[in-house]
Amino acid sequence: MSSTVIAAPLLERRYARLGALLIAPTIVVFSLVIVYPLLAAIYLSVFSIYTPTLEGEFVGIDNYIQLFTEPAFWQSLWTTLIWTVGTLSLQIVFGVGLALLLHQNLWFRSLARSLVLFPYFVSTVVAVLVWRWLFNDLYGAVNHGLMQLGITDMPVDWLGSMPNAMIGVILVGAWKYFPFVVIAVLARLQTIPDHLYEAAKIDGAGPISRFWDVTLPQLRSVLVVIILLRAIWDFKEFDLIFLLTGGGPVTSTQTLPLLVYQEAFALNNMGQAAAYSVGMMLVMLVFMLIYIRRTRRES
Amino acid sequence: MAEVELKDVRKEFGAFVALERLNISINAGEFVALLGPSGCGKSTTLRMLAGLEFPTSGEISIGGRVVNDVAPGKRDIAMVFQSYALYPHMTVGENIAYPLKKRGVPKADRAAAVAKAAALLQLDPLLDRKPKQLSGGQQQRVALGRALVREPKVFLLDEPLSNLDAKLRSYMRAELIELHRRIGKTMVYVTHDQLEAMTMADRIAVMHDGLLQQFDTPDAVYNRPANRFVAGFIGTPSMNQLEGEIAGDRFMIAGQSVPINRRLFKADMADGPVALGIRPEYITLSGGNVDASIRLIENTGHEQIVTLEIPGGHRLLARAPAGQPLSIGEALKIGFAPEAIHLFEIDGRGTRLNLDDPTPVVPLTPSKVAGDDH
Amino acid sequence: MPFLRKLAFNLFTWSLVLLIAFPLFWMIVTSLKPQTELFRIPPTWLPETVTFEHYARLLFDTPFLLYFRNSVVLATTTTIFVVLLGTVGAYSLVRFKYRGRDTLAMLVLFTYLLPSVVLIIPLYLMMVELGLSNTLTSLVLAHTTFALPYALWLLRSFMEGVPEDLESAALVDGATRLGAFKDVILPQLLPGIISTALFTFILSWNEYLYALVLVNSDSARPLTTGVMTMLISAFNIEWSLLMAASVMMSLPLIIVFAFLQSYLTRGFGAGGVKG
Repeated sequence: MSSTVIAAPLLERRYARLGALLIAPTIVVFSLVIVYPLLAAIYLSVFSIYTPTLEGEFVGIDNYIQLFTEPAFWQSLWTTLIWTVGTLSLQIVFGVGLALLLHQNLWFRSLARSLVLFPYFVSTVVAVLVWRWLFNDLYGAVNHGLMQLGITDMPVDWLGSMPNAMIGVILVGAWKYFPFVVIAVLARLQTIPDHLYEAAKIDGAGPISRFWDVTLPQLRSVLVVIILLRAIWDFKEFDLIFLLTGGGPVTSTQTLPLLVYQEAFALNNMGQAAAYSVGMMLVMLVFMLIYIRRTRRES
Repeated sequence: MAEVELKDVRKEFGAFVALERLNISINAGEFVALLGPSGCGKSTTLRMLAGLEFPTSGEISIGGRVVNDVAPGKRDIAMVFQSYALYPHMTVGENIAYPLKKRGVPKADRAAAVAKAAALLQLDPLLDRKPKQLSGGQQQRVALGRALVREPKVFLLDEPLSNLDAKLRSYMRAELIELHRRIGKTMVYVTHDQLEAMTMADRIAVMHDGLLQQFDTPDAVYNRPANRFVAGFIGTPSMNQLEGEIAGDRFMIAGQSVPINRRLFKADMADGPVALGIRPEYITLSGGNVDASIRLIENTGHEQIVTLEIPGGHRLLARAPAGQPLSIGEALKIGFAPEAIHLFEIDGRGTRLNLDDPTPVVPLTPSKVAGDDH
Repeated sequence: MPFLRKLAFNLFTWSLVLLIAFPLFWMIVTSLKPQTELFRIPPTWLPETVTFEHYARLLFDTPFLLYFRNSVVLATTTTIFVVLLGTVGAYSLVRFKYRGRDTLAMLVLFTYLLPSVVLIIPLYLMMVELGLSNTLTSLVLAHTTFALPYALWLLRSFMEGVPEDLESAALVDGATRLGAFKDVILPQLLPGIISTALFTFILSWNEYLYALVLVNSDSARPLTTGVMTMLISAFNIEWSLLMAASVMMSLPLIIVFAFLQSYLTRGFGAGGVKG
């Protein structure tokens, strides 16, 4: 038997070491600003901390008992679900719809695409300011437009009463984030080979059935991912709702992220807020697992 | 001393064994083809020679030096990739000069070397262009130029012709053969195309499922295949293989019998199940004693390829001259030229049972087909 | 007939597009209307007189320029920091093999989905303890929590798009791994890096929550919280000022869109969604 090398060649090990070295700075930063705070959040949740002075004492699972027994968390969860489902549906429907339209030969198509992309990249602050101005009951263009079209004859109080506030928030959320769906779906549409449509046409399929039988199945894999991503991002959205309504009227648009913020910086209960945030993460995790299992079973 | 040597080389990717135990010895100046179907491990072998892949165990030597721990750039090799791998943001001239730049060759000398390579490959007018402005054939020549400029001990080529159209491919094949003749350096050439291997290589290493099947000259691989795989892989159309039985000095299949000369085969070959191999050009269409009927005739212009069926549903391919009158359904009595019969074990690796015959088998010319002589 | 259908289709689609773009159009229009015209009922669709008085007031009578400078410093620093780490990290994750590599990649993906609301409390405490509260540095660090995973995800995609053969060829030609990275991979990666840098800049420029929690004084305050503070501190909401501020805040975005849009859509395709 001739000589055999048992250990990995020196060169291979050298490469591996270089690779580990290159990712090390990222790992360090990650551990500092993500891993450590994540663990700290869990640690903080078993304390009761007064925010202005940062003094606290150990309270065990009291914060979690409060989470379970009192309505605040569950009401917020319900509000978050309404918000998420509402805005997500609109994002998907309008996103896919507009992607289909923009996929065709439109006059000045690239200009149209730029205009459609704008809401996504504009700052949430800007979006909120503009929409609050638009929703303004006296001077807002929305009310003016609705009245001019004859749809309403009295100015509507958009953000100050329910259910208008939730509707308003859902609308703004849809407007801001649907371009993400448009771009992702458009990219996928552009890869669907023409001959699939040609074959369907030869088989006598009209435009609607072509959409249903050719386009939709091709979009399925992208849509699964898009829906998951957007659902997660919508669920954890803070800026938009906080700036539009602050969670109001009262707490009727207070989603879980807003609840955490209010508990920590308005009610000055940092420990409790940490417990709420841990609860929120667990809820997200559960939903994600259910979704992933459901989609994996289908594919 | 071998120029390139792989000793007991084994490669595993997790649980998958890409190469079982490879032993290959290549001499200086040889053109060796690594031939096999996809997944047989030939590309992995080449990449290990280059240092882009590492063996799980075993030793790789180039120029007498063990290079397991040597970086690819220091192994004194050059490589031509299937995708050419030309640097898209550099001009042709810069692409070719790059290896010399890495070596620290001064600018003037670099320019001279590039000019020399460009002249050899007719790339002079293209030196300032970018790769995407070139045709496939031109890109391939640039890749060759970049390899040549290094003046390495060994050239490694990974299916360099497979992205070219058929006409360009045969032209480049001739160019590569000429190039090898001119520079006389060792070349290791990976391909799945047995015609390329047969026409270009001094020796062919036939590989399958991570095992070396046979490492020999094209003539040996064609006329004395070591096992059923090699027999079926080399040659177009491929060798016919029939599974039947040896009984005394006859091969029996579906009630038909073919006479065989036992002296041509291993002495310890027993009666029993066996596989018979015969190339289409050695089947005579008359004067034999096997019943056959014609199922299909394919006229290629210079010959006819005839699909025959014998009892039991077995099909064989045979060759006939272009003008010979044949019709579908015609019943024939075919024969197999006895000195062109191969026998293989029916199981396992299907090892060849013929005695090694140093004299090359004389192929029957088409004019000899009608009217046997044995 | 087909032309009529085409016309109808174009009119319909463009009406939708204009409807979507209307809020932004309205923002610009409002910022150019004189104060008196602003509170007209019913409001005018186009300004009767165009004025730049709000922009002048914004730039000279408010801390706007200070906030703008802070945002520029913040977004630029975050982008440089994150793109540097991300490029090298992506190279490591895609072209090297070492133990734990795949788990690391998955963890990166996971952090991409973390709510910042979970992190703000511990980060706030951490910054206070480090003595960094109320500084731009604290914001840069906080921004890496979402910018670095995103950049890594994008850059990984782009890295995978660079053919492996190119690096192999460079290695055979005598380059070291880092040499091959510099000579061959980086030039190919450049469009992807620019895409990632643009995305990161915009993300950092638009961020609100961390700025809200971690910074309290004007000296370190970026535009997002700065502009909203101007809203709260006034007795009545200065809509014209706010609209002018909104237009100014969107300036970098408009520039990117006008000249560099292809980089944005490329980034979208690469990292936005897979599969």
